[in-house]
Amino acid sequence: MRRLLNMVWIPATILVITGGPAETQVDATAADAPTTGADGEFLNYWQPPGSPAQEAYLDEPLPPGFQVIISPLEGPVFADARGRTLYTWPLVSQRNGAAGDRMGKPSSCTDEVLRFSAGLMSPYPAGLLLPDLDQRKSCASVWPPVRAPENAEPVGKWSTIERDDGSEQWAYDGYPVYTSILDRQPGDVFGGTKMGTSRDAGVPRDPVGPRPAVPPAFDVVQSSTGRLVVNMYGHSAYTWEGDEPNKSNCHEECLTDWTPVPAPENVTELAGWTTFERAPGVKQWAFRGKPLYTYNYDRDARSFAGADVPGWHNVYTQRALPPPEEFTVQDADFGGQVLADSRGRTIYLYNCIEDTFAQLGCDHTGTTQAYRLAICGNGDPELCRETFPYVMAPAGASSVSPLWSVMSIDPNTGRSAAPGQTEALHVWAYRRRPVYTYAGDADPGTTNGEGIGEFSGLRNGYQAFVLRDIFQENEFRRP
Amino acid sequence: MRHERTGIMKSLQWSLPATLALFVAGVAIAEAPADSGAGDVLKAPRDGRIGYVLTERRWAVYSEDDLDKTCPNGFNSGPRDQFDRLFPMDNGQQYTELETRLMREGRQAHPSTSEDPFPFYEAQGHISYGLNLDGEIGPDDLQSPTGEKGIDNQVYRAVGCIDGYRYKGAVWQFDTDDMLANLSNRFVIELTGVDDFRNDDDVTVTTYRGLDGLHRDATGALSAGGIQRIDLRWGQPFIYRLQGRIVDGVLTTEPVDDFKLLWSMGNKMGGHQLFQGFRMQIELSPGSAEGLFAGYVDIDRWDHNLNTNWTTHFQAYGHVSQPSLYRAMSRLADGYPDPVTGKNTAVSSAVEVSFVQVHVLHPPEDARVARTE
Repeated sequence: MRRLLNMVWIPATILVITGGPAETQVDATAADAPTTGADGEFLNYWQPPGSPAQEAYLDEPLPPGFQVIISPLEGPVFADARGRTLYTWPLVSQRNGAAGDRMGKPSSCTDEVLRFSAGLMSPYPAGLLLPDLDQRKSCASVWPPVRAPENAEPVGKWSTIERDDGSEQWAYDGYPVYTSILDRQPGDVFGGTKMGTSRDAGVPRDPVGPRPAVPPAFDVVQSSTGRLVVNMYGHSAYTWEGDEPNKSNCHEECLTDWTPVPAPENVTELAGWTTFERAPGVKQWAFRGKPLYTYNYDRDARSFAGADVPGWHNVYTQRALPPPEEFTVQDADFGGQVLADSRGRTIYLYNCIEDTFAQLGCDHTGTTQAYRLAICGNGDPELCRETFPYVMAPAGASSVSPLWSVMSIDPNTGRSAAPGQTEALHVWAYRRRPVYTYAGDADPGTTNGEGIGEFSGLRNGYQAFVLRDIFQENEFRRP
Repeated sequence: MRHERTGIMKSLQWSLPATLALFVAGVAIAEAPADSGAGDVLKAPRDGRIGYVLTERRWAVYSEDDLDKTCPNGFNSGPRDQFDRLFPMDNGQQYTELETRLMREGRQAHPSTSEDPFPFYEAQGHISYGLNLDGEIGPDDLQSPTGEKGIDNQVYRAVGCIDGYRYKGAVWQFDTDDMLANLSNRFVIELTGVDDFRNDDDVTVTTYRGLDGLHRDATGALSAGGIQRIDLRWGQPFIYRLQGRIVDGVLTTEPVDDFKLLWSMGNKMGGHQLFQGFRMQIELSPGSAEGLFAGYVDIDRWDHNLNTNWTTHFQAYGHVSQPSLYRAMSRLADGYPDPVTGKNTAVSSAVEVSFVQVHVLHPPEDARVARTE
């Protein structure tokens, strides 16, 4: 079992930029030097506190007052004038129908408080009364539409769409735009994620943002801890500690395992990206001064395998800050690594999207707990706490990462505790949702709680906090 | 042997003419020394070592029986049928999610052995596949299709009247399809110490999780001669060394307890079945192998694997009601009693398996493949 790097944490800073050119927003050439040694593995996944690394983006025209915010995990996202992250809700088919917004059409997220299930998910029928009816909210109150002034003019990919009440709503790429009531500060992206998903997980809201400023030969994909740089075919890019700034020392035998990422003769200048001549007439890409390679033994796209070779590292535009220092990383039997608690027990996240045409989340403490309690305790809160215990936070605990926080939970309801509630539990939360361990995990590295619940934990259930999965790519999927 | 086999399985049956034909046709039998003749190939693999990778894996349910006798009451009900009976939607009653869907899912996540509100039909036949696990011929035992008595396979009783588990049912189909599609299921065995391919009283069988895809020929059929690197980093819990013997070309291993057999569906991770008294009985040939795994499968692990890998929607494909099946398995449990409660924790079972030959690559401790996939 390995502990997180013991270091002095430096509070994270959220950088807010309003409409400036991409090159001016961050010091994109700043080194995000991976650390080697006993704790280096942790910093393969997370960014050292104090690192200036942030993802540069391609500038694009925005409506007046809108801005780009570099969020801690998802990188650059669009935000309104108050810094609230913007989301769209594209239509996705479910097992029995579809939900979400249609491109160019008015919002499907209305002020109506829905009372019945939609029957979108097999095998349960439509027309069942939803739980906690007296506390239900409308879609539009959970996902406030971003209103546009009457005289709003389309700009770039931004346009307006008329809502049913006659008001105008901003749309991006043809899809109506919303904010989330879960986001409270600039940089919060707690309503959704850029990670991929399965349709069985429901119809999620997607944070929208500008394209990453990477050359056409590259792309950036969202992992569970950062923004991973891959080449145009999806294969991971790597850097080597044996290289020098914009100079490759990987020759001869080194090239049996590693392939330099070739660069064209002429390139468009992008902050942080350079080319250099590795041999007469042969150019190679470098990012933040470090020559880039692919690993000849990578079996699949989006691999972390090359970074198992000492001195070699995956490349990120940015990564999240580390979780609280009591957490650990464990090799898992499924073939990969998971986040675990101080005793090595796998950390689980609870996922839930209700079966209605509004597809509201039921995975946080501000909503009904009926779904979660059914899975973890057959409706019994005490059994639930035994089966999937909360991860208790030490007194006075805090986190350097804005993704992690301590929540006060009412143990009997599972909802947020009332202020001053004496029996409240103080538990660790990730993206403002409590995290759990599973009573059935006897040893570090076991993930027996994975998949418990509807649709293997995707729809109403638990999934492990996967950092790496060599067989299934779950480190690139929600949650 | 049983149902129809794929082309490669048909063509690679263990027989002298078939093997000679393959050899003459130029199919690589890599274990044979370059200068050896077909007789040497049959005698023993090179260095006494040969590997196979699993290509088919299904619960062994005899399906060539007379259904009127085996399942005289018909097939068991599945999730949709049971929901409809509990909550008829055409009677005007308004149901809540709490009393319907969430009640069902809650009980599924927390199974009970209380009385089943639905009738459950156990298979009534007397013939099925399997092995004699306890060395006895008891009143509940079955008979193999070839006439062997004392077959222990109570899983057949439990699932024999669930249509999904029968030949070409949904579970039957997906158990293998998902195994092939999900790389984390890559189950590899390697035989060492094989001095005689037909008869050898002391061979070692080591199981591994493989890391590579399967080789297919131009027709799409799985073919022998592929390569499997083995997962020594994360796959340690699945490495077992079994002692066995080969008699007339059939490998039989000694039983071992706490055997984890990789068993994930679709794109799910980490699934496995837990067996007590696990053993193999497989017919070997240079290019393929097929036969049975058998042992007492752990009920709770079976239930957990079903619930996490093949949740209610998928169970409905095959009319599999997990709450009913759990109760049936608990009733039929015939081995490994809990030391405290005395209740049996496992059910005798058999799994039909097929393999093709592969070259197993062993990484040295400091090699790249030992650290990575």
